[in-house]
Amino acid sequence: MTIAVRTDGLTKRYGRSLAVAGVGLEIEAGEIFGLVGPNGAGKTTTLRMLATLLPPSAGDAEIGGHSVRREPDAVRSVIGYMPDTFGVYDDMRVWEYLDFFGRCYGLSAARRRQMIGDLLELVDLADKRGAYVQDLSRGMQQRLCLAHALVHDPQVLLLDEPASGLDPRARVELRELLRELRALGKTIVISSHILPELEELCTSVAIIDHGKLLASGRVDDIAERFRVGGVFRASVLGDDARVTKAEQVFAGLPDVVSVVRRPGGMLELALRGDETTAAAVLTAAVRGGVKLTSFAPAASDLEELFLQITDVGAARSRSPEVQA
Amino acid sequence: MTALAAGLARRGGRVGGRVGRGLARFWSGISAISIKELRGRMRGRRAFVVLTIYLLLLGLFAFGIYVYLKQQAATTVTSGSGVFPPDFGGLPFPGGQTLSNGTALSAGIGHGIFGGLLFLETLLVLVLAPAFTTGAISLEREKQTLDLLVTTPLSTLGMVIGKLFSALTYVFLLIIASIPLASLVFVFGAVGPEDLLRGYAFLFALAFGMGAVGLFISALVKRTQTATVITFVVVLVLSIGSAAGHQFWQVASRSTSGSGGLVLTQRPGRAPEALLWFNPFVADLDMVCATAPDTYHLSCEYISSVTGRPYFGSPTNTGVEPPIFRGFPVQVNGGGVDDVVVVPQFAPDGQPLPDIAVPAIADCPPNARCIDPGAGGTQAAISFGFPRDTFWPKSAAAFVVLGLLLTLLAAQLVSPTRRLHLPRLPRLGRRGPAAPAAPAAPAAPDVSDQSAVENAS
Repeated sequence: MTIAVRTDGLTKRYGRSLAVAGVGLEIEAGEIFGLVGPNGAGKTTTLRMLATLLPPSAGDAEIGGHSVRREPDAVRSVIGYMPDTFGVYDDMRVWEYLDFFGRCYGLSAARRRQMIGDLLELVDLADKRGAYVQDLSRGMQQRLCLAHALVHDPQVLLLDEPASGLDPRARVELRELLRELRALGKTIVISSHILPELEELCTSVAIIDHGKLLASGRVDDIAERFRVGGVFRASVLGDDARVTKAEQVFAGLPDVVSVVRRPGGMLELALRGDETTAAAVLTAAVRGGVKLTSFAPAASDLEELFLQITDVGAARSRSPEVQA
Repeated sequence: MTALAAGLARRGGRVGGRVGRGLARFWSGISAISIKELRGRMRGRRAFVVLTIYLLLLGLFAFGIYVYLKQQAATTVTSGSGVFPPDFGGLPFPGGQTLSNGTALSAGIGHGIFGGLLFLETLLVLVLAPAFTTGAISLEREKQTLDLLVTTPLSTLGMVIGKLFSALTYVFLLIIASIPLASLVFVFGAVGPEDLLRGYAFLFALAFGMGAVGLFISALVKRTQTATVITFVVVLVLSIGSAAGHQFWQVASRSTSGSGGLVLTQRPGRAPEALLWFNPFVADLDMVCATAPDTYHLSCEYISSVTGRPYFGSPTNTGVEPPIFRGFPVQVNGGGVDDVVVVPQFAPDGQPLPDIAVPAIADCPPNARCIDPGAGGTQAAISFGFPRDTFWPKSAAAFVVLGLLLTLLAAQLVSPTRRLHLPRLPRLGRRGPAAPAAPAAPAAPDVSDQSAVENAS
């Protein structure tokens, strides 16, 4: 397998703070590679460096064998980039939007015409050809932006949170679209802070937090490594002392990986195994004298999951505001 | 053009290929951006409605000048009193005894309309050109479309020129559309096609220069609002501030030297005329002066004081007043424009001076070129035209150079991975002694931390 994207000690420093600290990745051609981590982890910065929008402070990245530092122009012609937040031009029709980017990539008039038809078909906007871009719905704009990244038929797609702000239906459509693109042989690098979104889609993931690469590899390997059944939220009845006691009880149980205390008498538990273990944990806790008003699985949000399972997250025990 | 450049890119050899590719990226930048921008700007009726209203207003203004000057002339002639009819907003009516002459009257009207239109259009270009460009790049930043553009292989210079070109196209259209209207002056005289050509050449240079000012500030500043404010402060400083500063300099550096009670020489200071190169109205005055049908014009006097070229005003055969030359009365002896001998004939109080010798060259005013009159020197006061093109070409060239410079700089500012890395200034006193060496270690030398900080937010 050829390597489509390789980063080597990629670092970005803003003044004193380190946004990305020496990330080294290897992404094989044809993969859908997920870059996951909480907000502010450095995903966007990493992607922007790959997209030649930010010069790295140290280290380098190669896309298709071209260095982002030394040959940004060559890199630009092999990548399609979709930023996390993007705007659209006013006073522009959908086909003009793609035509404009086609011109930017120096495509001939005939190729542009064909490309516009093909891409609008691909992203399912063929009937919106003459509509104004600003009149499209958010999901349609997102698809149009994806289409713009495909104008020059790039080998590598860098998609920064492409599903953010989309309703579930649009998410599913986007996922289908990405699968189609993978079938076309494209390498897709996609960032997200929502685990389920990536789990189903990606072949490999890298997990970053605070600019550091925590883990990377095939999705199955990563899941195996952490082997967490899920995160549960328990509301404890009573005052602080009772909550503290409950915390101790939970922490003493064998299947509980970690316990994090939240305001309002809430505890978050990362559990090994499946629902059976969860039931066992609940029973054990109640036997231990803990009074619970609720006990339910939390959304398996990657951010929460990682705060639970990584030592880093537990040691920092950041305030809830930061995590939000 | 794109096809041509692309063709070059295909055909060229290894080195030629690189140049060709660069050229192709440059051209596709210009064409892509300007087509996109023009599609937006010219869509619908708006652009054409604005153009029509603009032409109507301009026509009304010209007609107003015509009516006003004609009325002025009529009242002056019928009252019989005015040898020097009142000025019209700094554009004096052709003076004196030739008023009864219909040709001179007509020329005065032509000159008035030319001057009026020139000033109005200068004002318009001065305001519109930067207004159209000042959002060109900051708006892309605000709407978060710049990243999409920058990740395309367009050259940033092509991009910036495309922006400038498309923004200016509409301004150019406004300028060009007024040419037929301005050609009305040919009906009245005093202004030739070459004068109009000069005027329009200058307007184009002005539009380019001021457009680039807006573009540069747009690339420099993040927010459009801030960029707009800064741009118009710059416009005000260039147009009003420069004239005021120049005047202040002139007055402040004035020197007076009296000698023997006979000749009082007051030498106005010379401020560098470069101060006024970016003031388009001074260049306008130069062109207004050159087309004045009369021999005396306020505009000429001002330009003369700016450039230091002598200007001797109207003929003195009325016997009433000696021509005023830079603060002291002089009489002029023969010769052409540049061959001038200045002999003071009147004291400052207007009393004739006794015959005095031709002043030595050393006494020559700094703004006149003096030669020995020799035997042919006569005491006849003559008047001669004002030399053409002494000031405005410099002003136009200054605007073009400014425009080129700022466009290049703007291209540097747009590019996230800048080609030109400014050497990093050492930070003074910011780094405390407690700071450990390792995290503060400078990054690789070619990495611009400045752009990093700018891009940080």
